[in-house]
Parts: sequence; C-alpha cells; structure tokens
Amino acid sequence: MTSTPLRALLLGAVITTTSACVTSEVDEMVFNVPTEGIGDSSVVILGRRHASDYETEPDFIECVGDHISSKDRSITVIGELEFINALYPWFEPRTAPLKPEDIDKLMLQEPVAMKMAELKTEYMIWIDGSTERTDSAGSMTCAIGPGGGGCFGFGTWTNEASYEAAIWDFTDRAEVGRVNTSATGQSYMPAVVVPIPIIAPVQGTACDGIANQLLEFLSSEY
Amino acid sequence: MSRSMISAPEVRLALAAALLVLLSACGPARVDVEGQFPEPLMEPLPLTMGVWYPEEFANHEFFDKAKTRQESSWIVKTGQAQVQMWDKLWGGMFYEMVHMKGQPGPGQMNQIVDAVIIPHVEELQYAIPAHTNIKVYEIWMRYRFEMISSSGQPIAEWTMTSYGKTPTAFMQTDEGAVNLAAVMALRDAGANFATNFTRVPAVQDWLQEKWQTPQSEEGVP
Repeated sequence: MTSTPLRALLLGAVITTTSACVTSEVDEMVFNVPTEGIGDSSVVILGRRHASDYETEPDFIECVGDHISSKDRSITVIGELEFINALYPWFEPRTAPLKPEDIDKLMLQEPVAMKMAELKTEYMIWIDGSTERTDSAGSMTCAIGPGGGGCFGFGTWTNEASYEAAIWDFTDRAEVGRVNTSATGQSYMPAVVVPIPIIAPVQGTACDGIANQLLEFLSSEY
Repeated sequence: MSRSMISAPEVRLALAAALLVLLSACGPARVDVEGQFPEPLMEPLPLTMGVWYPEEFANHEFFDKAKTRQESSWIVKTGQAQVQMWDKLWGGMFYEMVHMKGQPGPGQMNQIVDAVIIPHVEELQYAIPAHTNIKVYEIWMRYRFEMISSSGQPIAEWTMTSYGKTPTAFMQTDEGAVNLAAVMALRDAGANFATNFTRVPAVQDWLQEKWQTPQSEEGVP
C-alpha cells in the first residue's frame, strides 16, 4: 500500500470520528409566524445573564447571529454589544425587560423609542443557556528532557449544551415563539508522544440547530 | 552527546532565565481595569451637577484584605475606569457636569452648580474560581454617594450596590476575566445609578423643592 492512500484513509477516519460525537435535539413552539419574513426590519439576538452560576456565552450569541445572516443575507442582525451599548443602561442584566409587556414601559422614554425606531427592530430574541463540561475521565503524563519531550495517556470528557430562545415581536409586544435545543458530545484526547485532541463540536451543533429553527421563523426563504 | 557541547556560561544563563521566570510568577497578578463605557440613553435632568472624586476613589484598587498588598494574589486597579465610567454616565444624565476645582466646603472657591456628587467605594468583594469552585469570576461593590451643596451643606447620602460576573469559558486569561467582571460591575453600577437616582427619597425631596421653588415664585401653581 502506498503512503498517499494511507494518509487519506487516516484523515477520513479522523474526520469521521470527530464529526460523529455529537447528538442534538431541537424543540420548537411557535404561536405566530410572519408570512413573508421580516422584510427590511432587523432582529436583535441577546443573551440572558440573570443566572448566578452560568452565563449565556457572548460567542454563542454571535454564532447564532452569524449563522442567520449568512444563510439569509436579507436579514439584518444587530450585534449584541452594539445593541446594548446603544441602549445603555436599559438592557443590562439589572434592567433588561423580562417579559414582552415590559417593553411598553421602556418605550415611554422618548430617546429609547427613537433609538428603537432608528434600529428598525422587529424581533428581539432572548437566548438563555450554556455549554457545560459534565463528566471527565482518564489521565495523561507529559515529560520533557534534554532529548525532547512527549505525552502518554488518554483523556475523555463530555460536554452538554442546553439553550432556549424566546422570540418577542417588538411591534405587538408579544412572545411569538420559543425554540429549545440541547446537544451532548464526548471528546477524546489520546496521547502517544503527541496529544491528538478529537473535539466534539457541541456548542457549534447547538448553535446550528437553534439558528436553523430561527431561520424558519424569520426568513421567507426557509 | 549534545549535552557535552553546552558550555558553563550557557548553563548559567539558562538557569538565570529560569529563575527570573519563576520569580516573576511569584508576585501578585495585576490588572489595570480597562473598558469602553457607553453614554446613557436618557433625557438629561435639567441640572448642573458638580463632581468631586476623592483621591482614594480616583486611585481605587483592591487586593486580598486578609494579606498585605504584596502578599495578595491579586491587585486590581479600578480608579481610572471608575472615573471614566462615572464621567460618561453623569455627562449624559445631567444637562451639564462640572469637575469641581476643590473639595466642596465652606470658604472653598468653586464653580456655581446645583449640587455636587462625591462617590466613595465603601466595600468590594471578589471571587475567582479558585475560591468558589464555580467557573465564574465575580465582583461586588458597595458605593456610598454624598450629594452636597457647593458650600458643603449635605443634601443627600445613600448607598448602592453593583455586581459583575463573567464565566471563564470564553476568556483566555484570569486577568482578562477579572477585568471583564470589573467592567460588568461598573456598567451595573452605572445602570443602577441612572435608573434609581431620582428615587432616592432625599434626592426626590431636593428635586421637588428645587423645581417647584422658581415656579411658585413666578406665581405658577
């Protein structure tokens, strides 16, 4: 056997292994879907940061936004930080509206109402959840000497992601849908001289799952 | 074979470098809090507000109070970021914000303002994952605000808390995570102040008196 097919076989095996480690599930509850997408309005995706022991990761929120705008370029997704900075101090963890009706109180303030109109925000999506490492096992020893270094051992860990997105219609001040996604994956790191991380893309899978469901809601093309 | 080729000065140099690396790892982790603070989106209150930052506030830092400053595992300097955040907030909250030339008091020549705010950090607590086993960095602060006239007469005094946290997951270094937690705590302090300033009973009374007096003098009911 020549070395080129062997390399290709090994590469294929690695890719198959890394992509086969995540299982995910998506649940959707929709009350009122827009019939022709959101038109020229914009959508903002925000992370809930009220829990004491976890925080919805900003990079997850960015991932969902990027996924939506890359799949349907007609949808304008306002960046989370850009939005909360533009509306400071009304969307900080202490002051953020917890239910759609709270928006009415917020809109009584003229500068807030004007900024919202300027941003053309039609939908506000609140994502709550996190990705956690739930289990880990194995051990690895690394050593370094004058002649070089290396590691030996095996490590494995499980990550679990759980997120829920609540979709608020900004015009009607009502919640119009809710999407849940959960994903679990086991990552491995065998090491014979060189550690080879085989990472399960748990958060990425959860991001794709929730973003695809949101696309069905927001986009006229899906 | 290669070991025999290393000369004695090279070995000494390598040992010295290793020692330096080890020694530099012994001192406390230092963080100069840096962040961007937005202007508040609100109708400014029609007041010319003076601000006086006491020295201990403008140079505020915190470290583990159970140890000395040098023995502490962390030294976090928040003073510069505090001043930056409060300047931005008060600049947007009031028609005009004025930095006072001197500490307000009897006989002190100062600019003419409606009142002067003096902030103090009364207490600060922090938690890092090594303390709590939770993968979150937290900072909690208690402020005390004095509001006085430009001649130093007390108008109101109240306390206020703020809290900031950040998970370890998306940060690369502990210093970065502590910095972000401090920035979040400062933003929270600004949000708390902006939304509750006019609800402080003594401030409410003063505002009512201030805004009603000229009207009643002009005969407006």
